[in-house]
Amino acid sequence: MSELIPSFDWQRVMIDPWTLDLSLYGWIFLMGFCATAACGLVGNYLILRRMALMGDAVSHSVLPGLVIAFLLTDSRGTTPMFLGALVAGILTTVLVESIHRRTRVKQDAAIGIAFTTLFAIGVLLVSLFSNQIDLDAECVLYGEIAFVPLEPLVTLGGVELGPISLVRMVAVLLGVAVLILVFYKELLIASFDEALAKAMRINPTWVHYGLMAVLSVVVVSAFEAVGAILVIAMLILPGATASLLTDRLGVMHFIAIGHAAISAWLGVGLGVWLDCSIGAAMVVGGAFVFGVVWMGTLLTKLKRQRSKPQQSGATVSAPASVS
Amino acid sequence: MNRINIVSSGFRRMCTLLGVSMVLTFSLHAAPVRVVTTTGMVGDMVSRIGGDQVLVDYLMGPGVDPHLYKATASDVRKLQRAQVIFYNGLFLEGKMQEIFERMARGGRSVVAITHRIDHDRLIHPHDSTGHPDPHIWFDTALWAECIAEVVEALQVVVPAAADQFAAQGQVVREEMQGLHEWVQRKVAELPAAKRILVTSHDAYGYFGRAYGFQVVGLQGISTVSEAALADMARLVDFIEERDIQAIFVETSVPHATIERIATDADVAVGGELFSDAMGTPGQIEHGYDLGTYGGMVRHNVTTIVDALK
Repeated sequence: MSELIPSFDWQRVMIDPWTLDLSLYGWIFLMGFCATAACGLVGNYLILRRMALMGDAVSHSVLPGLVIAFLLTDSRGTTPMFLGALVAGILTTVLVESIHRRTRVKQDAAIGIAFTTLFAIGVLLVSLFSNQIDLDAECVLYGEIAFVPLEPLVTLGGVELGPISLVRMVAVLLGVAVLILVFYKELLIASFDEALAKAMRINPTWVHYGLMAVLSVVVVSAFEAVGAILVIAMLILPGATASLLTDRLGVMHFIAIGHAAISAWLGVGLGVWLDCSIGAAMVVGGAFVFGVVWMGTLLTKLKRQRSKPQQSGATVSAPASVS
Repeated sequence: MNRINIVSSGFRRMCTLLGVSMVLTFSLHAAPVRVVTTTGMVGDMVSRIGGDQVLVDYLMGPGVDPHLYKATASDVRKLQRAQVIFYNGLFLEGKMQEIFERMARGGRSVVAITHRIDHDRLIHPHDSTGHPDPHIWFDTALWAECIAEVVEALQVVVPAAADQFAAQGQVVREEMQGLHEWVQRKVAELPAAKRILVTSHDAYGYFGRAYGFQVVGLQGISTVSEAALADMARLVDFIEERDIQAIFVETSVPHATIERIATDADVAVGGELFSDAMGTPGQIEHGYDLGTYGGMVRHNVTTIVDALK
């Protein structure tokens, strides 16, 4: 066991990454934070709509997009692959939505139908057209968060901005934040009360398609920047954690961002300590935060139940209940 | 944006510090050049040529499949601190190659050792639009052509040792020529009709072309795609039809499918071959050190020839 798990060295795990190796882990932390925060912000709405596994679905259904992009352009470069994946991602969300709205099939089953079909078409295309070509999402699309600090830095007007993929991810995060700020009222009403939305002349269908298009952009660019596991998990974990703590949508966003920062920080620490994949370590960090919050809500509930008989039914304000 | 600025100024300070300390170490005593390579095969070549001038570390250890390799936290630190990085290229490293190309464009010394091999000498599977087969190290003569690339890259980094690198490169080239002839002699023990190599994936295309083997791989060039049922059935028929005595598993690919086929076709599993990764340095079998390129090639060829005899 002692060989499997290295001893915990405070200096090496907690101090060095932020001082000596800041040029390495600083970028990784920022990238983890931006990708996680962007996914978390969109993820909040997925959780409200019971579509949490949409990210997993898109991760599979990008395959036909990759193959078709390859067949059209004859290249495995990032740009055609990214565009192919993006189109496939949007197609998935449109398919899910049409199946769900136009049949009696529920959302979860609709997601299952759409992504498995697209993935299967992708596998068919691979075996039909490019049998001997190494073409799968793992190889041509998914990035690796650990490699972010190795990229050359982008400079703008003499100021070093950062690695190119981080700059792109920051732009995506800002885009998501601005869209949520601008359309907050529409998103809120369409998510909770479709009848009210229609009465207020907000078209919930368009709100939904808009959200799904943003989701595709976020998910595919995050795949390209940090790899699959981090994206799939971080669409769910920040929103799920936030929903344990509050039932106000506005507050959920801030908790999701806080969650992103903490899990990126924990992930860097864990990755350095165990010398493992940093993306996976960030997911474990995020799940740990979720676990701690969950325990916290359980304890609060228990406390409340105990104090209830003495207070003889006096109402206790519930700061953290979702039940 | 503020955060980014803080980090980037920190980064600049780090760079200056690093630069200063590097200059200091260099002026005090010529420290060995820190080299990082992806596969063990590339690492072996670089450390043979660089000798005491280099300190070589490689990322993909024994049993690691380059298609499925995941970078760890310390791997990135190694890559960032390396003064030279050598990789195979030809898309063996998958999407990592893109990072390497970006690093090279950003001014880092990052070299694909297969970079200058004549395009016509590469194997282009089936349609000509596809990417060439990256597993060139099993044709020892072709692999030797990568030596020039390594020598030149090292000469740029340590000009003072340029002659040493050139001489050592020549030594390694002659060794590989010797190895090439040894493989030819060993393979000649098998009659041409028996030179059929059945393995898990198409890692031995260059080996087959160079030494006259018909190579049949179950999974195709990449290890990612699963074998289709029809492929398995066809392979079993092929083995029975050609009366093949043994088929082979690879160290970095799961054994289950090949073992299943061996049972179905009633042939022996002739042994474990090294394909995308070498063995552990110091691991001796048949008197060959499996952690070296030469030892690995000799082990593979001995295993193949003995099992098919």
